[in-house]
Amino acid sequence: MSVIEQPRLAHEVTLVELVDRVLNKGVVLTGDIMLSVAGVDLVYVGLRVLLTSVSALEEHR
Amino acid sequence: MIESPTATAWYVYGVVAADARPPDAVRLIEHDGLAAIAREVPLAEFGEDVLPLRLNDREWLGANVLAHEDVLHAFLDTGVVPLRFGAIYRDTREVERMLEARSAFFRSALVRLRGQVELGVKAWLVTPADPPASSSPAVGGRAYLERRRDQLTAARERVERATVIVADAHRRLLEVAVDGVVNRPQPPELTGRSDEMVMNAAYLVRRGDEAVARTLARLAPSSVDEGVEFELTGPWPPYNFVPADEEASR
Repeated sequence: MSVIEQPRLAHEVTLVELVDRVLNKGVVLTGDIMLSVAGVDLVYVGLRVLLTSVSALEEHR
Repeated sequence: MIESPTATAWYVYGVVAADARPPDAVRLIEHDGLAAIAREVPLAEFGEDVLPLRLNDREWLGANVLAHEDVLHAFLDTGVVPLRFGAIYRDTREVERMLEARSAFFRSALVRLRGQVELGVKAWLVTPADPPASSSPAVGGRAYLERRRDQLTAARERVERATVIVADAHRRLLEVAVDGVVNRPQPPELTGRSDEMVMNAAYLVRRGDEAVARTLARLAPSSVDEGVEFELTGPWPPYNFVPADEEASR
């Protein structure tokens, strides 16, 4: 919890690196459950979340 | 669909050869010499009705993206074919069926990626410190415009020189790596840096090969003089180097 209360920019950047790879790269397999989500651009969803949190962080300064 | 609160599914992180040794947190589901790295997950979190919401939960996303990376990282020594986030199956039988259907693809991918890891290379064009505040109050509008024009010209030239530097770096890195890809640079809103990202590349190398780091170290002194800073990350599972897949689904 404290991680979220005290976000560090360096941590955000690392998370961007991770999201960029884990959601954007790798073999795409359509599993049983993701069918409805598979067509969505996952990396867009993930990066939008990070964008929101980074800009919130900037405003906080 | 209403799921029982205790219902589970199988999240698959990647595919390895069946003789790989898994860390405790995950299980190998084997089929004919291949193994899916899998973990049993609650449908309350990973069901298709809740997953889209979870993806927009920054804390949940961060924890699960990190877990995905951690699991794959444990297989760096043996070679692993990373899957993209979110391949989820109802039961282990479905996972075996997937391995069977994509057997040829995973076998050739494992041969290609065995013993190889990915390194990330970014380059930043560092914003120069503002020139001494142009505080010659006496100068008129014309002098101001000229100075402004000179600043813009200088900025454009810096970007042009940086472009040449990173193109040269990429060419040299390709010479020492097995393969390389150049991705689109991330925007400053994402990186949180005011410096502009001018290179966002990944290279496939043999595990333990330090040629990429040595090449960057050699390039660093002259690049820094031009405001270009390189950043090396990894080793990563070879996310950027999974072979093209001939079919999009089972």
